[in-house]
Amino acid sequence: TESTSPDSNAFVFCVSVVEGLALLDLGVSPYSGAIFHETPLIIYLFHFLIEYAEFVFMITDVLTAVALYLAIQDFNKVVFKKQKFLIELDKYAPDVAELIQTPMEMHYIPLKVALFYLLNPYTVMSCVAKSTCAINNTVIAFFILATIKGSAFLSAVFLALATYQSLYPLTLFAPALLYLLQREFIPIKLKSKSFWLYTMQYTALYLCSLVVIICLSFFLLNSWDFIPSVYGFILSVPDLTPNIGLFWYFFAEMFEHFSLFFICVFQINVFFYTIPLAIKLKEHPVFFMFVQIAVISIFKSYPTVGDIALYMAFLPVWSHLYRFLRNIFILSCVLVVCSLLFPVLWHLWIYAGSANSNFYYAITLAFNIGQILLISDYFYAFLRREYYLTHGLHLTRQDGTEAMLVLK
Amino acid sequence: MIFKAFSNRDDSVIGPPACPGAGRGQSRAASHLTTEPPRTAQDNGTICCRCRLSSAKTEFNKAPIRGSERGHYSPATGKAKGSGTPARCGAERPGHGGARPARAACLKLKPFNGCVDPGLRLRRELPAADALDTFVETTKLGVVISFILLKKSNSFSIFQDQAEQFFRSGHTNNWAVLVCTSRFWFNYRHVANTLSVYRSVKRLGIPDSHIVLMLADDMACNPRNPKPATVFSHKNMELNVYGDDVEVDYRSYEVTVENFLRVLTGRIPPSTPRSKRLLSDDRSNILIYMTGHGGNGFLKFQDSEEITNVELADAFEQMWQKRRYNELLFIIDTCQGASMYERFYSPNIMALASSQVGEDSLSHQPDLAIGVHLMDRYTFYVLEFLEEIHPASQTNMNDLFQVCPKSLCVSTPGHRTDLFQRDPQNVLITDFFGSVRKVEITTETVSLDSDLAGFESNLPKDELATEPLKYAEQLPVAQIIHQKPKQKDWHPPGGFILGLWALIIMVFFKTYGIKHMKHIF
Repeated sequence: TESTSPDSNAFVFCVSVVEGLALLDLGVSPYSGAIFHETPLIIYLFHFLIEYAEFVFMITDVLTAVALYLAIQDFNKVVFKKQKFLIELDKYAPDVAELIQTPMEMHYIPLKVALFYLLNPYTVMSCVAKSTCAINNTVIAFFILATIKGSAFLSAVFLALATYQSLYPLTLFAPALLYLLQREFIPIKLKSKSFWLYTMQYTALYLCSLVVIICLSFFLLNSWDFIPSVYGFILSVPDLTPNIGLFWYFFAEMFEHFSLFFICVFQINVFFYTIPLAIKLKEHPVFFMFVQIAVISIFKSYPTVGDIALYMAFLPVWSHLYRFLRNIFILSCVLVVCSLLFPVLWHLWIYAGSANSNFYYAITLAFNIGQILLISDYFYAFLRREYYLTHGLHLTRQDGTEAMLVLK
Repeated sequence: MIFKAFSNRDDSVIGPPACPGAGRGQSRAASHLTTEPPRTAQDNGTICCRCRLSSAKTEFNKAPIRGSERGHYSPATGKAKGSGTPARCGAERPGHGGARPARAACLKLKPFNGCVDPGLRLRRELPAADALDTFVETTKLGVVISFILLKKSNSFSIFQDQAEQFFRSGHTNNWAVLVCTSRFWFNYRHVANTLSVYRSVKRLGIPDSHIVLMLADDMACNPRNPKPATVFSHKNMELNVYGDDVEVDYRSYEVTVENFLRVLTGRIPPSTPRSKRLLSDDRSNILIYMTGHGGNGFLKFQDSEEITNVELADAFEQMWQKRRYNELLFIIDTCQGASMYERFYSPNIMALASSQVGEDSLSHQPDLAIGVHLMDRYTFYVLEFLEEIHPASQTNMNDLFQVCPKSLCVSTPGHRTDLFQRDPQNVLITDFFGSVRKVEITTETVSLDSDLAGFESNLPKDELATEPLKYAEQLPVAQIIHQKPKQKDWHPPGGFILGLWALIIMVFFKTYGIKHMKHIF
């Protein structure tokens, strides 16, 4: 039931790309049907790779893993350097020795990240279902690699590619910018000229590459109808096939009158978290990137398990937060159980007919709640660690009693 | 040629048949010279072949009802015994006045047995088994026509009357469209109503191929049915109307307003099977029976849509304009049923309803074992009435109007006959509920070669030179076989590939520096 189960759906390869290419062979625009919602570059890519589709997806997964490996390797170096710098500047409280990351424990993190990605059952499912989400993951992984390596140009190009393919990586612009500014040692002050200069440069690179890619796609089919088909499709959510996201049930039940309003609300929900997170996490842009990717994969209009696989690959990077995670047991249980229940309830609903969409949506909701709790837990743990680093492990109130840190 | 001449209805030569000797025959012939089809049925009087009273009568009494004949449209099933109405020989019919020497005339006509099946529409296909009879009948017909055409002898008038008899009776075939529009178990009685009428109609001779039965739900196999595979119409389970040979044409969700109207008007997609079509013509009498839940001006279909009386009237008008019926009997058993026939405006429609506007049609009796009401009152009494009808009955419509008075039915049944050309008293129940077959089987053969030759030479030449009909060229077979269109694969345009690779190379060099170009060149 790989290709029929909705876990890797609206951008599922088998049906839609084959259909698009068949329509092209018949001389018709592939966007004239309602199934194909891929970008023209995907058409070009698969035009000559379609017979080797399985290999293509295997290779993309491997590339993603390699990119993540290299990225995290570099990131660890950066983290370590920063840590050393802060210790020398005496920014840390004296009793936080146990919280500081050591090279020993950080040595295997890149490998763990790569393995987490490759061996994740979600990745395997996504590869077997030949979901184009894998390609999206590859592009985002390369984008992260380019950002961490510090190349603004490549990072802008890959970000443009990622945005071009599915609209949501637009929100990754902020963490990338923050990271690059940090790397260039440009302080993030609104009055600083160099800040604005760099921002403008990066923005210009990004926008220009985006425009170039879109214009190039125009020349593939000599028409602009890929824009409503791809971006209009992502934004207006016309396809309410059940998936592991939150949109379909709502919009299946909603009256037409309100659907525009709620679409706006739901879409804003994805983009909205960027600004507060940017303010809070401006010192830690990579964590910001992680949280942002997670937010995208929860709240996007057609999530698939491939998106989940991508951000879960980052979890080993923050394994030092383990002691501060509060809900990890419940979360893991929820995620595992819901993942197992997805196909069961799908079968019960569609094939056996003894359940209905509410059952499936309940599991979707529980799964997404689990994911949100995971993210917020990591967020809490991260901030708590930062607080402890600067204020010491044993917190005392003004009157000397032990204080407890609470995330508000 | 023979066929063509025969089928020219508006040809003034052929008039409606009349029993010979009746002076009215001639005048009636004249009156029908200018009429447009369908003919008014004022003169469905005697047909001489009916004079063989004794033998025909015994034949039909023994006759079993012909089972289903799916897939064969055969209006003239020569083998359907006993569907004649021998009792319609003129002497017994009031109102046709004048004793006529019918028997004598029959004897005179014995060589021909001028009884050719009026239902024999020579344009249509006939079952192969009847080919011999058909040939015999058609040749006899041809002879009759030839004599009529040539006007060669005194017996011309007899033969003319003979041929006119084909068209005396208004209709040559019967159809029934029986619709139950309600679903759910508690509407058991509507299905039972429809099946009772189906049973009567089938018993009286209409074959399954001429019945379009639409049942919106399956009561016999409903899980709540304590007696599966049965639908009872009387308490104490006396009468199972579901039987082994019930053929439902439209079932469950196929019973929709759209399908019903398409069946009536004939505007169906070409892929519809014959069993789902109303293949009536301008000589068909159609019985339309509808039951379900209704209101003032509408009838509810399947709990989700309605058909209004205006739509129904328009559908009948479409049928009239397409000449899809000769006469129509519309019976409706719903609440406020009379509102459904208020808007009819097409001729030759007679309508009956179980209740007036503002009244509810009530159900008859519940069966405690099954748990639901089994029948509606009106249809219950109609069924009782119909059980006494046999194919030779002379009962007329006035009797049907009397069925279920207010004392029994609580509602006031209504009827509408102003659009109907004939007097209801002259309309037999079997005109609509039964399938009247005017068939006479004979074992005598007549050789007609000399007559045919003379006949042929007199026809105008243009009639001979009609081109053979054939189907339009629909499938370009030659093209398909010899010339498969080559599947052209799509290739991305050159400009795109160029641009893309240029960009990729630019990015590569920007990243890794121009100096790497020396490794390439």
